Amino acid sequence: MFADTWSAGARSLALLAVALLLGACAGNRVPTDALRLHESSLELRSKQSRIFEAESEAAILAASVAVLQDMEYNLELIEKPLGVLTASKKVDADSTSQKVGLITLDVLCAMTGSSCSNYSTASDEQVVTLTLVVTPSLARPNDFVARVTIQYVEFDKMHRVKVRSVIEDPEVYQEIFTKLSQSLFLGGTE
Amino acid sequence: MNRITRMIPTLFLLGLVTACASAPPDVTGTGSQLQTRQMQTREYDTLDQARTLRSVISTLQDLGFVIDTADLALGTVTATREDKYTMRMTVTVREKDGQRVLVRANARIGEDTVTDPLTYQDFFVALDKAMFLTREQID
Repeated sequence: MFADTWSAGARSLALLAVALLLGACAGNRVPTDALRLHESSLELRSKQSRIFEAESEAAILAASVAVLQDMEYNLELIEKPLGVLTASKKVDADSTSQKVGLITLDVLCAMTGSSCSNYSTASDEQVVTLTLVVTPSLARPNDFVARVTIQYVEFDKMHRVKVRSVIEDPEVYQEIFTKLSQSLFLGGTE
Repeated sequence: MNRITRMIPTLFLLGLVTACASAPPDVTGTGSQLQTRQMQTREYDTLDQARTLRSVISTLQDLGFVIDTADLALGTVTATREDKYTMRMTVTVREKDGQRVLVRANARIGEDTVTDPLTYQDFFVALDKAMFLTREQID
């Protein structure tokens, strides 16, 4: 009887060890298509880019900085010789309806005698990061190409990452370019 | 049964010892220096470091990255992409023998280093396209 129990235990341990070994040797968790261009990348590039007329590279960069300020971003990086601007902002992602739903779930959970913490998974804030690159147009001398890429990370109440996403909605880019166009028109006027 | 009972304190102690042990971080990396360099580097027949760096930035944008740091003088760009997972890349552009430029890229996803040569190949395929568009003067 003892021998049977022991050998069953030993077998389980051996299986567990093999499973752990296999898990440890599963190797790289890196996705294979991490740096592969999507078929739609040219289309996306065109949605994220706009050609502007401007007096100089300095003028369009100044107008770009002003737009980022208009949109309530803080600048994190300026590399003027490459025309690169990166800015970010924290946005409140707190939603009353979401919180009500999660608190209701917690109450229901407590009524069944268990302890749940659904509320802690409620959205708290989002960090939006945007890069705007201005380069002299290759096809149209004296014009400039502005290109924007945006992403955001959403955190829950425990500051755990809830969502990571690249923003590809063309309307967002359209609105930024409209603002940049207005900013160029307004020029130095504040 | 006695044997199993005797093992419990030993296992408990072992658990305590391993739970408190904290491994030092991997500071110097694990890959072969030469192989890593070969996999991460590509040569281009141009001497225009600035234009190559702009193509690198454009490629990173094509791949959905935002730029964290960029320095033309040092020919360096670091970028991050937050999409399902966090990916960070550093790309350097430098002249070689006054004849061509060397582009080197290294990437990490979360806590993992990208060691798959095909992933770097994908990056250079994307960069080839951006370099072609620049050469043909297409915005």
